[in-house]
Amino acid sequence: MCLGIPMQVKEINGFMARCEAGGVEREVSLFMLAENTVQAGDYVIVHVGYAIQKITAQEARSAWELYDDMLRLDGELADETPMVPIGQLLRDNGGR
Amino acid sequence: MSLNAKRWLEEIRKLPLARRVRIMNVCGGHERAITMAGLRGALPSNIELIPGPGCPVCICPEEDVYEAIQLALHEDITLVAFGDMLRVPVNVPKREVRSLEQAKAAGADIRPIASPIEAVRLAQAQPQRTVVFFAAGFETTTAPVAAMLQESVPGNLLLLLSGRLTWPAVAALLDSGQVAFDALVAPGHVSTVMGPEEWNFVVEKHHIPAAVAGFTPVSLLAAIYSTLRQLLEGKRFLDNCYPEVVRPGGNASARAQLAATMDVVDANWRGVGVIPQSGFALKPRFAAHDARLRFPSYADASRRRAGQMPAGCQCADVVLGKIYPNECRIYGNACTPRHPIGPCMVSDEGACRIWWSAGTRTSKVAHA
Ligand code: SF4
Repeated sequence: MCLGIPMQVKEINGFMARCEAGGVEREVSLFMLAENTVQAGDYVIVHVGYAIQKITAQEARSAWELYDDMLRLDGELADETPMVPIGQLLRDNGGR
Repeated sequence: MSLNAKRWLEEIRKLPLARRVRIMNVCGGHERAITMAGLRGALPSNIELIPGPGCPVCICPEEDVYEAIQLALHEDITLVAFGDMLRVPVNVPKREVRSLEQAKAAGADIRPIASPIEAVRLAQAQPQRTVVFFAAGFETTTAPVAAMLQESVPGNLLLLLSGRLTWPAVAALLDSGQVAFDALVAPGHVSTVMGPEEWNFVVEKHHIPAAVAGFTPVSLLAAIYSTLRQLLEGKRFLDNCYPEVVRPGGNASARAQLAATMDVVDANWRGVGVIPQSGFALKPRFAAHDARLRFPSYADASRRRAGQMPAGCQCADVVLGKIYPNECRIYGNACTPRHPIGPCMVSDEGACRIWWSAGTRTSKVAHA
């Protein structure tokens, strides 16, 4: 649950935002970024449904690549309850 | 940080390291990235990367998990908890309910959630029913809980708070003199929220090189390189190898929300003991939302092994960086992700689980 996931902000409504990563969308709170201005198209790191920081597109991309690598490793090696990659992580856990 | 991972590895290999260097990380996300990227095998063999206290599920007090189970079984409530917590075993006799998952199977109303937002929504959807949110986690998870409290929390939503701070555990480790490490890779997202300055004590008080890292191999290798250079050149400073995300002072709003809703108190760590100023407790103004005040305590200190790791499990040593996961005698045989004995094999952030997922399948300890 401590894993931070980079997501792209799609739409903002008050303190709530619709964010996307790996083809999965989640509702994310921007309440912890009260002092930052976040706009649609920006990238944020999301912990348990809350954006904790704005990041660059490049930073988001390299983190996503890392998760994809983990997927490949898990697919090859893990035969029991493997750890899951970004898209599936979001599907299973609602973006934590 | 324009070098790619391969170049960083080359730079590290060029360093004239005369002796073994032990570098500790204190974040499950770091351990996961290091292990999955195969950094241990790629680095020179005299560089040891040691997973330390980086798993909040692993050190969540046994008595808190026990209390959550008992609350769910005996009170007319809905209990919500992060999914990782459901399979964490407590120390009870065989016929008794030993995890939230088993309590759920026995009919208790327990639901895994992924976010405090879900706890709020659930409480709003059933205003007549008390919802207890068992909130365990480090700063990156507790700060969102603080944000939830600060924004608005329904009257029927209570908290069983087991939040913990990371740096006091490292401070306790260093003060104890029990675990020797030569350098520290400081956690990226904890520093994002709380500010990197929290880790200055490692450099200033203990003269140990430290660098904040992100979660890509490049950022981790840069941090490793930085601490090695510091060691070789006799310089000490807290480097920031995740500057795009980790800013001086951290996330000011998040820290203000934490300070407004919670106090920092002495707190117990499973299998480790009480660490000074390492836990979060609700401020008195949130007393009406404190499950510990609302319900009688189900804590039973007379239980055998209350507060400890399960019998035979060496998670406490793994968490403190005293042993590697596969130095536990039952790693990979009695204890696997399918049949976990200890919390380090349950949680995605547990070092045992991470090593298993990356392909380490057997214990190094000989079995007679
Ligand atoms: S292998 Fe299992 S029993 Fe051993 S330390 Fe890890 S979680 Fe505990």
